[in-house]
Amino acid sequence: MSAASIVRRNWLVYWRAWRSSFFLSVLTPLMFLSAMGLGLGSLVQEEGAFGGAGYLKFFATGIFAASCMQSGVFSATYPVMGKITWQRNYEAMLASPLSVRNIFFGELGWMAVTLAQISIPFFGIMALFDVFDSPTAILAVPIVILLGLSCAAPVFALTATLQTDEAYTWLFRFVVTPLFLLSGTFFPIEELPAWGRVLAQATPLYHGVELVRQFTIFDVGISALWHVAYLVGLLTAGILVGVRNLERRLLP
Amino acid sequence: MVQSPGSALISARGLSKSFESLIAVDAIDFDVHKGEVFGFLGPNGAGKTSTMRMIGCTSPRTGGALHVMGMDPSTDAAGIKARIGVVPQTDNLDIELTVRENLEVYAMYFDIPRDVARSRIDELIAFVQLDDKMKSKVEPLSGGMKRRLTIARALVNQPDLLLLDEPTTGLDPQARHLVWDRLYRLKQQGVTLVITTHYMDEAEQLCDRLVVMDKAKIVAEGSPRELIARYSTREVLELRVTDEVRERLKETVDGVAERIEWLPDRVLLYTESGETALSQINAAGLHPDTALVRRSTLEDVFLTITGRSLVE
Repeated sequence: MSAASIVRRNWLVYWRAWRSSFFLSVLTPLMFLSAMGLGLGSLVQEEGAFGGAGYLKFFATGIFAASCMQSGVFSATYPVMGKITWQRNYEAMLASPLSVRNIFFGELGWMAVTLAQISIPFFGIMALFDVFDSPTAILAVPIVILLGLSCAAPVFALTATLQTDEAYTWLFRFVVTPLFLLSGTFFPIEELPAWGRVLAQATPLYHGVELVRQFTIFDVGISALWHVAYLVGLLTAGILVGVRNLERRLLP
Repeated sequence: MVQSPGSALISARGLSKSFESLIAVDAIDFDVHKGEVFGFLGPNGAGKTSTMRMIGCTSPRTGGALHVMGMDPSTDAAGIKARIGVVPQTDNLDIELTVRENLEVYAMYFDIPRDVARSRIDELIAFVQLDDKMKSKVEPLSGGMKRRLTIARALVNQPDLLLLDEPTTGLDPQARHLVWDRLYRLKQQGVTLVITTHYMDEAEQLCDRLVVMDKAKIVAEGSPRELIARYSTREVLELRVTDEVRERLKETVDGVAERIEWLPDRVLLYTESGETALSQINAAGLHPDTALVRRSTLEDVFLTITGRSLVE
């Protein structure tokens, strides 16, 4: 209940500019799918590559998951730091009966809303491009929301310990971008050297991408359970550490 | 619910707060009673804000006992916070919302039903005289308006206790007087106010009772009048003198005043009657450049207790 008031506050702020953010969340998948999927895809036509799905489907499902990871990570960086440091919204909230736990879950809940707001139009565009082969595809939306939150929670935990935003340059350059490129988004991780494959399998995006593909273009296998468990585990760890870090920060 | 000792709204015994290498509050005792305006007076770093944060349940104490309306902040923070209002030292208004939305959203944080909140917010906006700014964003407001909005926000849950951390720091004189006036009205409505300040006139204007904090401890306690009587004299004679007169003054001034303070630019004589002291000095043939007789203020008390050296 109390955490819901934070979601409502964020909704009120978002609502003023919803047109531009909605426009972006439609435009982004359109550009990706046309330029990369159709354009690049027409050149990449090796027989039997991409599990036989064709590049457009392979790429679309990968970039779908990767966009939600990026959005999840971003939502836990500058916006959260602003509310801790510059605008001090959390300090104001803590003078009300809200607790640090309420704040953490409220913000995470809002991140889920923004992830839905990105992934649903993206899903719709993919349907227009005839990406999906299976009715289970609809489950890709909750999967990418879970993926986004699993990436957001640990970054939220990191943000709670930061005094300045310098670390974000490193985070995006050396963590998010390599993940984005090398977690099976643009090409199957089987193309990576052995150590690269091991590394890729340790990343949340890999598990998210695998799940999305199983539910949309390939068959759902038993490994799906492991992928979900990985993401839920990461989310849980992020919440536990995050609440603790935020308590240390806000209740000195 | 455990009742705190006596009928005190806030009761602290041996209350302490320490950070890794710093003792911010060192075993202080105080009681705040219902309906009074209670002040924490002290230089920067004396421990006022740390104490306020412990009362407001946003900083866990490290020692001693603390009860706020009979509840313990370490176990019943939400219960306490539902009944207090907080005006922090630096405004933390929601700059992404308008004036009215700031109050509406804050009412949501308190789980106040929307229709109750609506009429209450109308009253609060009128109370702090921001009617014509209702739809404005926060950023363009003046410092005084932001402060008043922060006060209105702190009242959205109709608190029994209002905590104000340096409520008028940085405001111009008109804005300060308006804030004082609103706070005085709240007191008349029965709201208990706890204020920290380093403005002596503010403490004298508003506080029924206050404690002086210095170096993490409470060093004096009483009403402004009591403190002046105890630590100062009724009047102070301030003299500006040439170096020559200063030297001669040192030889003749014994017994003219209860206490004399030799500052680089002035000489302060603490005495029952400034006029009498001045005529005695004139009678000795000494003529200061300027002479000012004034009432003793809390500032004299404060400087007597905490010293004149700069605290940074």
